[in-house]
Amino acid sequence: MFGSSRQTADNLWTLIAPPTIWAFHFVICYVVAAVRCAPNTGPFEAILATRWFILAFTLVCLLAIALIFRRSVVEWRGHGSGTVNDEDNPTARERFLEFSTILLAGLSFLAVVFTALPAAFITDCR
Amino acid sequence: MPQGRLRRNGPAAGSPPRHHAPRRSPVLRAFSLAGLLALLSACTGPQSTLTGAGSEAAQVETLFWVMLVGAVLIWVFTIGLSIYATRVHPERHSEKTGTRLILWGGVAFPVVVLTALLVYGLKLMPEFRAEANGPTIAVSGERFWFRVAYGVEGEPGVVKSLPPGGVESANEIWLPVGVRSAILLGSPDVVHSFWVPSIAGKMDMIPGRVNRLVIEPVKEGVYNGVCTEFCGDAHGQMGFRVVVVSPGDYEAYVAAQSQPAAVTSGPGFEAFMENGCDACHAVRGTEADGSVGPDLTHLGSRLTIAAGILDNTPENLVRFISATEHVKQGVEMPAYGMVPNEEIAAIAAWLEQLK
Amino acid sequence: MSNAQIEAARVGTFDLSDPATPNYPDPPPIQTIGASHVDQEDPAVREAQAKRLIWVWEAPKGWKYWSAVNNTEVGVWYTSTAFIFMLFAGVLGLMVRVQLAVPDNDFLTANFYNQVYTLHGTVMMFLFAVPIFEAMAIILLPEMLGARDLPFPRLSAFGYWCFLIGGVFVCGSIFFSSAPASGWFMYPPLTTQERFTPGYGADIWLLGLSFIEVASIAAAVELIVGSLKCRPPGMRLNMMPLYTWYVLVVAGMILFAFPPLIAGDILFEMERLFNWPFFDPERGGDPMLWQHLFWIFGHPEVYIVFLPAIALLAMIVPTFARRPIVGYSWIVLAAVGTGFLSFGLWVHHMFATGLPAISLGFFSAASEAVAIPTGVQIFVFLATLLVGRVIFSVPMLFVSGALAIFVIGGLTGVMVALAPFDWQAHDTYFVVGHLHYVLIGGMLFPIVAGLYYWWPILAGRTLSDRLGKIAFWMMFVGFNVGFFPMHFSGMMGMPRRVWTYPAGLGLDLPNLVSTIGAFVFAAGFLVVVADILRPRGHLPLAKRNHWNAGTLEWLSEPEDKGWGVRSIPIITSRYPIWDQPNFIDDVDNGRFYLPDAEELKRETIVTSVLDAKPLQVLRVPGPTFMTMWAAGFLGAVFIFATFHWWYLTIAAMVLATGAILTWVWRGTAVIPEKHEKDVGRGLSLPLYVSGPQAVGWWAMFITMVGDGTAFLSLVFGYFFYVTIHAEFPPPGIEGPGLFWPLAALAVFALAWGLAFAARSLNKAGSVTSARLAMAAGGLAALLAGAFVLLGPHTTGLDPVTHVYPATVWILAIWAAVHAAVGALMLFYCLARSLFGHLTPLYDADIQNVALYWHFMLGTAFVTVATIAFTPLAT
Repeated sequence: MFGSSRQTADNLWTLIAPPTIWAFHFVICYVVAAVRCAPNTGPFEAILATRWFILAFTLVCLLAIALIFRRSVVEWRGHGSGTVNDEDNPTARERFLEFSTILLAGLSFLAVVFTALPAAFITDCR
Repeated sequence: MPQGRLRRNGPAAGSPPRHHAPRRSPVLRAFSLAGLLALLSACTGPQSTLTGAGSEAAQVETLFWVMLVGAVLIWVFTIGLSIYATRVHPERHSEKTGTRLILWGGVAFPVVVLTALLVYGLKLMPEFRAEANGPTIAVSGERFWFRVAYGVEGEPGVVKSLPPGGVESANEIWLPVGVRSAILLGSPDVVHSFWVPSIAGKMDMIPGRVNRLVIEPVKEGVYNGVCTEFCGDAHGQMGFRVVVVSPGDYEAYVAAQSQPAAVTSGPGFEAFMENGCDACHAVRGTEADGSVGPDLTHLGSRLTIAAGILDNTPENLVRFISATEHVKQGVEMPAYGMVPNEEIAAIAAWLEQLK
Repeated sequence: MSNAQIEAARVGTFDLSDPATPNYPDPPPIQTIGASHVDQEDPAVREAQAKRLIWVWEAPKGWKYWSAVNNTEVGVWYTSTAFIFMLFAGVLGLMVRVQLAVPDNDFLTANFYNQVYTLHGTVMMFLFAVPIFEAMAIILLPEMLGARDLPFPRLSAFGYWCFLIGGVFVCGSIFFSSAPASGWFMYPPLTTQERFTPGYGADIWLLGLSFIEVASIAAAVELIVGSLKCRPPGMRLNMMPLYTWYVLVVAGMILFAFPPLIAGDILFEMERLFNWPFFDPERGGDPMLWQHLFWIFGHPEVYIVFLPAIALLAMIVPTFARRPIVGYSWIVLAAVGTGFLSFGLWVHHMFATGLPAISLGFFSAASEAVAIPTGVQIFVFLATLLVGRVIFSVPMLFVSGALAIFVIGGLTGVMVALAPFDWQAHDTYFVVGHLHYVLIGGMLFPIVAGLYYWWPILAGRTLSDRLGKIAFWMMFVGFNVGFFPMHFSGMMGMPRRVWTYPAGLGLDLPNLVSTIGAFVFAAGFLVVVADILRPRGHLPLAKRNHWNAGTLEWLSEPEDKGWGVRSIPIITSRYPIWDQPNFIDDVDNGRFYLPDAEELKRETIVTSVLDAKPLQVLRVPGPTFMTMWAAGFLGAVFIFATFHWWYLTIAAMVLATGAILTWVWRGTAVIPEKHEKDVGRGLSLPLYVSGPQAVGWWAMFITMVGDGTAFLSLVFGYFFYVTIHAEFPPPGIEGPGLFWPLAALAVFALAWGLAFAARSLNKAGSVTSARLAMAAGGLAALLAGAFVLLGPHTTGLDPVTHVYPATVWILAIWAAVHAAVGALMLFYCLARSLFGHLTPLYDADIQNVALYWHFMLGTAFVTVATIAFTPLAT
């Protein structure tokens, strides 16, 4: 078990970090594709570069979320792996935030994968 | 508690879950089943999405039924569970059961189903928008009718309007069966939307943009099209007909439409010109060259008048010309009730000759 | 009379003209001994305390009742007003159903039908669905947090009056047959060009709603600060009632969702009033920009409506399952996750606009993904019901009905999230059916469940079980009969928003059935209304904590005391009433914090975000008419502008500013008579806090986040035009040049530096230098505002000719207006300093203004970078 000194302190900002990464990923994917296709001409030209970029960026974002996930899991285990976390002490609060971050990281990971799927199946601006 | 625990026995387990009260269930079930059957039997029609007259409509129909069956099963499971938990067995279960339920029911199962659906949808999208191998037809949504031009050349794009030219007609679109036709969609005034439910999904007609919709009718016949984006008072009565014919008939039709008007003189034509109808309407082959309203060169050949709302008969034409606002509220064309009846009748008779 | 008595009550340093002391007659004697030093077990002591608390927290009497600002009064007004608007919109909905009952009907004319359906949607969404969340949260949140009031009661009252005025204005228009008539999302160019929509309808929609958006953002500020800073001591983040989590998420969503609509409204109204061509393709505009801005707001709005209602279920379900919720963290996941994902869905309202398939794909993906947290939400309730020992009751009946209906709406939502299916279903009755299933199952049924559940704490008596059951079955059956057939109408090709339809398309039967169902549904709701209105003075009071719930709002006593809680408890559990021994008794006997209002001031406790450690005693202002005046004048600004009465508009603007300044001057940052106060149990807390610890600073921060979002939406508009034009600026039009924009940026930086310096100097005690910095900063701000306008002015950009000059002007004007507000704030601080309300120790005003200037500098930088540098890049 880690000593509490080796733990990072969670707060509301760390809690929303994974979905914020999702939001960022989403906006970038949307903007890149929108700018590439905005003139709405040549709908059947392949947009390979755009799709490669989206793939690469997706991997970066997934990695970031995975790191957050890993950090939260490690610290949550260090705090005793509770899922209920309704005790009246700062550790329970910390554990609650860590566990919630784990869940949000999981959801954000899935959501980033979902967001990237269109780039896998759609090859042009049609 | 005011009520305490309620009826643990009774036929709750076998009741249709949408209605909680066990006592009412048989009646309601009979009612819903009868209603469902009645509705399903009436599913096909000239404006139904479940007619399968286009390749896309048919694929979406399949998708719809699959999703519907899935949805019913999921709903029955979910609501069944809630009835089980509240009425059939309101006693405690272990907390572990609860967490497992969240994990499997709330996370694992939805993720699998949603991923499958999403992938299927993503594969369908580019398929529906594949390149055309048939004619290109421009359709312009205008308050409150559809301008049609066969055989135009153009591409989609922004900050532009529909390509000019082509053989002009209105409120009726002929399409060759078994061929993917490209419809270029635009509008000079407000946002409209182009929808032929029996053949394919809809696409908007947006001022300043040219959209491209590719559709492939697979059954010959006559289908309804409607405007599906609210565009003003007469929005509800802004429609058109789609006539799906063999490719040969299609070619013949367009060739005929490209001809000038069949009759270019006579009392009806004179009344038409005297009352200023030519300010808005064109009749090719005469000096009438207005471009505000529908081209009337071959009005007599069309199935409907007033944008798909009235059968094309001389009586209806007289009625529409003399009281446009009464027939179609919000219409842009003024009523010509002050014109003597015989003149309107003459105009109508002449227009009906323009086959 | 009362003034003389109040004057007589002035003792030593106690100043009863403080806004936190209500201006009531017969003040009880004040207490000079701190709460830690009295014998709390002495009944005489408690009685004297209770007397003071009641006097302080009582609502004003007589006509002055309407000057109340306490959350109970304002919340009740808010809720009832929202319900009245809802009943009005319900009648409109029934008119729609009558018109569509049979084909080719002529009950309404096409134009009036369009007004009716537009107002039905508008009122339901903007005057009921969103405000009811704010209304219920204003009532419930402080109760659940054991707080005596929200941190900014006058802001709540201001929000309410804005809501009322805007709502009456919008609703009233239909009685003059000049209501908006283009659907609740008002797509241009239909709505922006006089030739298509003559009259005032569109303006009324727009200005009325802008005004209501102000109210929503005010509520968001209030609720975020309320849920983060006004929790009772000990209520750590992991202890918050789930409702609070939802309120926090939803208020945050409002902050990012409403501003894009405000930006859209600005562009819209500039086109409509002054012919600036934002949405006119002839002059480079694009109607699609409105659709983007509207739906960036519009889709999160669905969740802004849905989440707070689900939050009610999250409170009701554990009570009747007789156990804590299963999966507390899962609910937090669901609320936060949905809150985020809901911002990635907006284009699914635009699937048919011809956007590239890949773009649609992203939104389709997010629309499917959002079903995951929503599913988790539902399954948390199911799991709780399964694990608990369920007791059935009328609220639970409505909860079950809500689930049954909402799940159908959710499932059809998953269907329409697939673009290929949506291309068929979009803008048909299928979608009408879907959205009513979502909103009625996801919002109305939970709210009725909430009414039956919380009525005892609101009115002291219960609603009727028998009527509740009758109402439920009528509503449930009526709703399904009414709205289920709509899915079929849609699949059979019935577009939405048609005022009539022809016979013979298979639409006749489903429409008739829908109409019958709608009337049964409405009758069911009338039973609820009748139950609420039925006189029940002769009935016995409900017992306290009627449903044996575990959360703090149930501390409320059947005969209302006004004080919220007798003493502010220390929390050690998620369900304190269930888990903390002797809890109610300790609260009632004042054994916790703030058992007294020693100085006759309205007070509540502010705590820290993570662990709710007590930080401050916050004195909250009492009754005033000033908020009503401010809202009235602001309303007048919008109403006069609707009718283009420009001189009156300007006059009203001046009066509104005056009223707001008066309110802020008298009601905020009041210097207390002592620095600390004994709150009992040996704890002393400061009475005045400034900077990042203060609730006022938070409010400024949150407001500026919303403001910044609106600004970024305008910038988004600029770059949207860049992407659709091959050349932007278009050939032949010069940009605003470099000189004036850069000069403006330099002066903005100077003003920012001066604001910053004023804060530091004041804190360091150099009051005179600080005053000089404030004065100079204010002047610099005005100058910067003028410079930023000079850019487009000197290069002769004419906003009517093309969308490029129009967007440049709009950004410049935005920056200039903010500069003027920044100047006003600095001058305000100067005056506060001169009048002795702002001192080196008590410096909240300049702290908040310096914060404003950080945002201001960001705004100036982005504006200048956008308008001055992008022309160089293209």
